[in-house]
Amino acid sequence: MKSKILVVVLVLLHAASHAGILTDEKTAKTAKITIKTSAVCQQCKDRIEKNMAFEKGVRSVVLDLKTKELTVEYRTAKTNPEKLKTAVTKIGYDADEMEADPKAYEKLPTCCKKDAPPH
Amino acid sequence: MKYIVLVLLAALLHGFAVAQQVRGTVYEKGEPEPTPLPGVNVYWSGTQQGTITDENGSFKIPFNKQSGVLVFSFVGYVNDSVAVGRAGQKIEHVFDQNLTLEEVEVVQRAKTAYVSRMSTINAITITSGELMRAACCNLSESFETSASVDVSYSDAVTGAKQIELLGLAGIYTQMLGENIPNLRGLATSYGLMYIPGSWMESIQVSKGTSSVLNGYESISGQINVEFKKPSHSERLFLNLYQNQMGRSEGNFNIMQNIRPKLSTMLLGHVSNQQVKHDGNHDGFIDEPLYTQYNLFNRWDYNSRNFEFQFGIKALLENRSGGQKSFNRDLPRDTSNGYGIGLDTRRYETFLKTGFIFNKPATSLGIQQQFTHHDLNSFFGLNSYVAGQTSYYANLLFQSYIGDTRHSYTTGLSFMFDRYNENLNDSIFNRTEQVPGAFFQYTFSDGEYLNLILGLRADNHNEFGMFFTPRLHARYNFNEHTIMRLSAGKGYRSANVLAENTSLLASARKVVFVDSPRMEEAWNYGINLSRHIDINNRELTLSVDVYRTDFINQVIVDRDSDINTILVYNLNGRSRSNSFQIEANYEVLKGLSMTAAFRVNDVKMTLADEFQTKPLVNKYKGLISLSYVTPLRKWQFDVTSQFNGQSRLPETSSLPEIHRMPAYSPAYTILNAQVTKYFRKWNMYLGAENLTNFKQKHPIIAPEKPFGTHFDSSMVWGPIYGIKAYIGLRYTID
Repeated sequence: MKSKILVVVLVLLHAASHAGILTDEKTAKTAKITIKTSAVCQQCKDRIEKNMAFEKGVRSVVLDLKTKELTVEYRTAKTNPEKLKTAVTKIGYDADEMEADPKAYEKLPTCCKKDAPPH
Repeated sequence: MKYIVLVLLAALLHGFAVAQQVRGTVYEKGEPEPTPLPGVNVYWSGTQQGTITDENGSFKIPFNKQSGVLVFSFVGYVNDSVAVGRAGQKIEHVFDQNLTLEEVEVVQRAKTAYVSRMSTINAITITSGELMRAACCNLSESFETSASVDVSYSDAVTGAKQIELLGLAGIYTQMLGENIPNLRGLATSYGLMYIPGSWMESIQVSKGTSSVLNGYESISGQINVEFKKPSHSERLFLNLYQNQMGRSEGNFNIMQNIRPKLSTMLLGHVSNQQVKHDGNHDGFIDEPLYTQYNLFNRWDYNSRNFEFQFGIKALLENRSGGQKSFNRDLPRDTSNGYGIGLDTRRYETFLKTGFIFNKPATSLGIQQQFTHHDLNSFFGLNSYVAGQTSYYANLLFQSYIGDTRHSYTTGLSFMFDRYNENLNDSIFNRTEQVPGAFFQYTFSDGEYLNLILGLRADNHNEFGMFFTPRLHARYNFNEHTIMRLSAGKGYRSANVLAENTSLLASARKVVFVDSPRMEEAWNYGINLSRHIDINNRELTLSVDVYRTDFINQVIVDRDSDINTILVYNLNGRSRSNSFQIEANYEVLKGLSMTAAFRVNDVKMTLADEFQTKPLVNKYKGLISLSYVTPLRKWQFDVTSQFNGQSRLPETSSLPEIHRMPAYSPAYTILNAQVTKYFRKWNMYLGAENLTNFKQKHPIIAPEKPFGTHFDSSMVWGPIYGIKAYIGLRYTID
């Protein structure tokens, strides 16, 4: 019985580590980019980080709410800064010189709107 | 010399501390100018590190670079947050948007389950994140990763589940739906299954007697469920679930903003189990067949000085079980076999209104709820048909004395319950009316001490006038160490039949020795928690000790006589001691762990002997691991529970073949789940009870269900083994 549990735990842990490693294994060429966004609050941060994680080639993504800067690590073979910025605008936020996609911006929660009082 | 070094060191440390501080003032919007607001909780988002503003509304807090976002939270306001770039920065914050209806504020998601450092009451919040770690399915299945709350089957045939907190039965825990008492009376036995998992936003579990604002009923604790709200939930959510036993579920919720201030939400649930399964070959199906339809529509309106929430729920459930051969369409007699059937209709509607005054932190709220519940059931040849109509109203006025360090809430409440119960040929009709008044004073010195003193007086039409005093205190020794104390009284009137329908699924006769009086108990508790920084990650250690002393308890005695279940008022002593230690830590980046151990010592006078309460595990251990990959695309969850021995009710006078051992064996349960996230949807695959542990003979004398020994209420463990499931969730934000 005990060994059964152990096996299950091991299999799961193995699967867990595997899933984590998979992304690291393909260490092709990566680059880092910092994009200035129009994020306001924690909700914005969650939204941007969650969505950017699913962009092709993205390896890590962190938004700093203080500076509103989004740091993305990506694989150069899979994507480029232009594509990443477009992705940010499609979530509803400005990305450097690029303006937020109006349709996506419309759907943001009130707290994430640009005219929301700074908080 | 030593002295000088010390002074220098102190000065240095002091200077260092000042340099690393963030200072500021919190105001409340007012005419002609904003007024400082004392007593505001200020904490770093994503951490449990915080402070409280002083009488001038000022605060200082060590700079936390990792978080960088300060959250302001205050009773009557929506939480606000502000990004802080550097230490030494001065923050001026003005609160604007009011919020009055929710007394329990859900703090931003930091951990999936946590005890808020600010809370005076020892309350654990289980967030939707935590609920998703175990995919299934309703409130009764939401505590799998919780060390404090146990959930077990009440019997081996109906599928009814009961919770246990501090070693006491679920009836001593007050259930609230958004701070309104719910699932009382007839809903006690099956009510946990009336709340679909995906409808819930969070659950707050508080141990010990809780605030007097919600009534006198909580004795061992309180469980409050917050449902999803239009203001902060997905516009569309869909969930589908299927397990290998043939249980299917579907859930949805949609949100719509009608006007800027008015929004509505519709939540729906359908579940179904139509496969007969008898894994232990005793002729009885392991899980009853059932169909449930559940619908909830809610409306929220928010303006500057007025807000309301209105909701309406309807539930329809049909449940049948018993022997595999039983046919519900044929007459119920001994030749058709043993069957059970439970048909439930339940309607609820609530209205909460809040008025905000121009004076700071002052508001008036009224909560009202109307419930109607119909149950039509049979257990073999026993039939139980019952109805309950309830009305609840609670008026709360909130303000402060002098400044907001001394705040109070006072009000009036009214509770009405009408029960019509028919057990076989006996009719039990009862009406309860309880008007009450309460006052609660809250003190906060802004730094070390928080105190809540409450008193309520209620007048029960049958049991007369009674008083409920309660006290809660929280003391911060420093930022890392917090102590909480609670002491208070709780009462409840027992609904013996409704709360013990499972006992009808046996050959035993229920005998009332005397007429049940009000149950009454004292509860005392102490909690110590300490936060320790290890490798920039916080280890939280928490120790609880609780004691409950019953003055009167309605005892349901299964030990005295094997042929009857005796119901009588406590004649002797009844008490419960509970000790729990729990640790939470993020072991590696993305891998968090909870480990807990608990000892329950519950004794009462049963059969003229002061002895251990049956079917309560003396020990329980829990280890829960959760790993999330760096981009949050995969999540792995494993939870293991160790359940110690429990005393089984006396069966020595049964023929030897039917006897049960004096104690149930200890056993371990293991659940695991994998979740894969996509942009708009996620998929989960998991299994419960991976150790495949089963109670071999959950029913006594299953071959002769109409004989004198049949009893399905002796359940202490899982009835079936490994159960795999799969599901998906789809979200549009």
